[in-house]
Amino acid sequence: MTRHRAAARPPAVMRAFATLVLVAGALVAMAPFVWMIATSFKQPQDVFTPTPQLLPLSSETGAWAGTFDNYLAVFDIDGFTRAFVNSVLVVVVLVPAKVLLAAMAGYAFARIRFPGRDRVFAMILATIMLPGVALLVPKVFLTQELGMGDSLSGLIVPSLVSAFDIFLFRQFFLTLPQELEEAAKIDGAGWWLIFRKLALPLAKPALAVVTITAFIFHWNDFLWPLVILTDQEKYTLPLALQALASGRVAQPHLVMAGAVVAVMPVVAVFLIFQRRILDGIQFTGLK
Amino acid sequence: MVKTRRAGVRSGARSEAVAGWLFITPAVAHTLVFMAAPAVGALLLSFSQWDMTSAPTWAGLDNYRAVLFDRDLYPDFLVAVRVTAYYALLAVPASLLTGFVQAYLIDAVRRGQGVFRLAFYLPMITAEAAVAAIWKWLYDPQFGLINGLLGVFGAEGPDWLGEPAMVVPALALIAAWQSGTAMIIFLAGLKGIPRNLYEAAEVDGARRRDQLLRITIPLLRPTTFYLVITGVIGALQVFGLVYVLFGRDIGGPESAGLTYVLQLYVTGFRDGEMGAASAMSFLLFAVTIMVTALQFRLLRREPA
Amino acid sequence: MKVTPALALSVLALVAVSCGDTGGSATSQAATVDFWYYQPTPQQADKVKRLAKDFETANPGLKIKLTEIPKDDYNTKIATALNGGNGPDAGYLDQPQMARFAGGRQIAAVPARTIDESAYYEGALETNRVSGTLYGVPLQQTTVVLFYNKDYVQTPPATWDQLVAESERVHRENPKVAGVALPKGDGFGAWIFPAFVASAGGTMVDENARKVTFNSPQGQEALGLWRTLLASSPRKITNTDQAFQKGLAAMTFSGPWDVLGIREQFPQLKFGTALLPKKLEDASTIGGENGVVFSTADNPDGAWKWLKFLSSADHNAEFADITGNFPVNRAAAAKSTLAGDQDMKIVIDQLQSARSRPALPEWIKVNDEFIAKAIEEGVDGGRSPAEALDTAAVRAAKALGW
Repeated sequence: MTRHRAAARPPAVMRAFATLVLVAGALVAMAPFVWMIATSFKQPQDVFTPTPQLLPLSSETGAWAGTFDNYLAVFDIDGFTRAFVNSVLVVVVLVPAKVLLAAMAGYAFARIRFPGRDRVFAMILATIMLPGVALLVPKVFLTQELGMGDSLSGLIVPSLVSAFDIFLFRQFFLTLPQELEEAAKIDGAGWWLIFRKLALPLAKPALAVVTITAFIFHWNDFLWPLVILTDQEKYTLPLALQALASGRVAQPHLVMAGAVVAVMPVVAVFLIFQRRILDGIQFTGLK
Repeated sequence: MVKTRRAGVRSGARSEAVAGWLFITPAVAHTLVFMAAPAVGALLLSFSQWDMTSAPTWAGLDNYRAVLFDRDLYPDFLVAVRVTAYYALLAVPASLLTGFVQAYLIDAVRRGQGVFRLAFYLPMITAEAAVAAIWKWLYDPQFGLINGLLGVFGAEGPDWLGEPAMVVPALALIAAWQSGTAMIIFLAGLKGIPRNLYEAAEVDGARRRDQLLRITIPLLRPTTFYLVITGVIGALQVFGLVYVLFGRDIGGPESAGLTYVLQLYVTGFRDGEMGAASAMSFLLFAVTIMVTALQFRLLRREPA
Repeated sequence: MKVTPALALSVLALVAVSCGDTGGSATSQAATVDFWYYQPTPQQADKVKRLAKDFETANPGLKIKLTEIPKDDYNTKIATALNGGNGPDAGYLDQPQMARFAGGRQIAAVPARTIDESAYYEGALETNRVSGTLYGVPLQQTTVVLFYNKDYVQTPPATWDQLVAESERVHRENPKVAGVALPKGDGFGAWIFPAFVASAGGTMVDENARKVTFNSPQGQEALGLWRTLLASSPRKITNTDQAFQKGLAAMTFSGPWDVLGIREQFPQLKFGTALLPKKLEDASTIGGENGVVFSTADNPDGAWKWLKFLSSADHNAEFADITGNFPVNRAAAAKSTLAGDQDMKIVIDQLQSARSRPALPEWIKVNDEFIAKAIEEGVDGGRSPAEALDTAAVRAAKALGW
């Protein structure tokens, strides 16, 4: 994308005003996170203060009373360690496989000529319109019939292919110049080799967007794990957080520590790849 | 010579066809198993009565009839429809307006575009379970940050998630907080507006406000339209947020937060009425298709 | 991105994941008893695991596999798993679910001479009986009593009139404190509601006449009482989590689990318990879990042994203590660490007048959806208790097929 210089730059006064409003807006947008982090370091007796108290100060003496205990507690007793491992397992297995399958199919639909191609592509494209919820009930029973009920594979296998990702890769490969591939073909290179050595390396921007959005989506996913998983030992982080938040005895300091654990990996990944992702989202218009 | 080359081309075409199918086979097989088969299954189930304890029995249109018209068996179905429509009505404009203002201002400043983009997008990538947990605590009527701050200014905040009338507005406020997608896409739209249009307007002496009203907003119509449609489709499917926010009190006070998918979940996975839940799925699917079709129709009418 | 290693890695990991986590219920060996239950807290889960170890020591050759499931999703998860053919050997079953699962032949009748029926409290035992046949073993029971904050309430109210007066007095004198943290219109509130109907002399249903009766004048009085209490017990105060525990409500209705919970987490709260205030007679509602063996169990003998162990004179007290409930075994009740406890004595007294829920397959839906809604409408909402209950009664009759 070409670097854009805004048309008819507004005068300095207006720019300063805009910056001011944006800073205020950013503070508001960040406040829930700040409050989450602040609460997560408080001791239980300091959480319920009549006026908001940002820093973890003792409600009796006013002295510093910040603590890591809440994190130790959620990791120790509330199954977050297990849930964390489960979440990691799911995305580590699912995301690369999902990206690869989408890239392969997207490449074939863009580049390889074979009978029935366009019809098959139209069929896959049509499934984008199906809201996931519409298939929820039969998909749950199908997954169980396949012996993947209440298991991490039940989270992974049914999500391996995304029509939208295939579409994205196809559109991306269509924009790439074809000359190199033609040359390789004449040299007798097979399709797999061309895909792997030529096409994929060029597809880095698309790979990045699809990988990161898949990671974020599956790390955060709630409904599917909720209906598939039974045993709390197999819970992923969002479910563990839900269980923690809806316990008979709700405790904000623990819940917020749990929320920090669930949110931070995504934020970290996002911070590292933000420019790529945000540009990619602008580019593709995808959520 | 000619002959062999032809044969080469033909075998090349065949190997190309084989390669193509090999490349797409996993995706196609997966789509057949996990999309096509469940779609047929959902349709069949929606015409059946099935409580999971015995074999499904054919029920014709009974599920649809009961879900749509029997207020005794499904007293909350229309409530859920109303809540979801009201939510879409508030949440979509709220997040679009916020996103637009953010994008417009970010486009106007020179420094810190990246930081602002990041700050406004972070709420978007937060797990909905975490969003709900955080806002439940922010909205706590006695000790929450929001009412606490209002208290500092001498105002008394409402019981956000406890008063039926406040529930959907409170949810819409969360949607406004999650304006990141709208902001990013508006920003792309803004950058796509040809610069010379503004320059010409400047020459004609148009003020900034006129430029905003006459150039920016009209030219962002396709973008806005896209965001409205995707926003509405997203709003129809809100689940995790309300599921976690209200916990045991499904749907919140007087079911004021009972969204469509939550009602679907309760019908299928709490009450074990899979047939009725499938009928609800298909009704949702039909509405989604209609919204999408509307998008295509209106877009076609839109001059390029 | 290197494709081949990534692909190999995913395939490997996929295999690892599938091998790792399908070894659960579906493939349980003959010597393993797969037991599903729900737990309020992880600490309690640890203690149950220790109890299972004791069982394994006492019964060499048997292994207990414990699976914890969130309470709210338990009934659906069990039904789904049984349908998918990978259900457990044994598990908890909420009292009103017995009829549904017995009717669907998904749980097995208790084999003759497995337990000594006279060892149990009758009320708890009877929740296991469907059409004369015993389908489970009671494991623990619970009921609801009045909790009051001694800072605001000196003498706990014994009657409805005193309850209303006390609630109004507290809220008048302390506008920031609610009189009662009143149950909400959810499944929990709907579970407590019958206690008040019974106290007014009414019943929820008449099973023999197949008639819904909770919209009787007594039912209306009960809901009317809550509506009256709401005036001095604003939701805005009580809608914060644990309003009573934080001293924001002077009274509440809750069970023995909160006695333990408050002592542990809110040691500074000076609270007492008392029988629920009554109108005509003492009454409360009974709850608790039964242990059942599913008809598809691979190891029914081991499963019954485990359930017998949990409800035995030697271990039932420990098990009930862990979960914050009350023993079902009379001999165990005497051994409970809570036996000499003043608050637990109230719970025992209250259990004498506690009524069980109708043993009807559809009762959960009636409770969670129709009665809960009637509470919302008739207490918080704009409808009169009579109207709200009448609507719920019509719906309940339809759902019950009466």
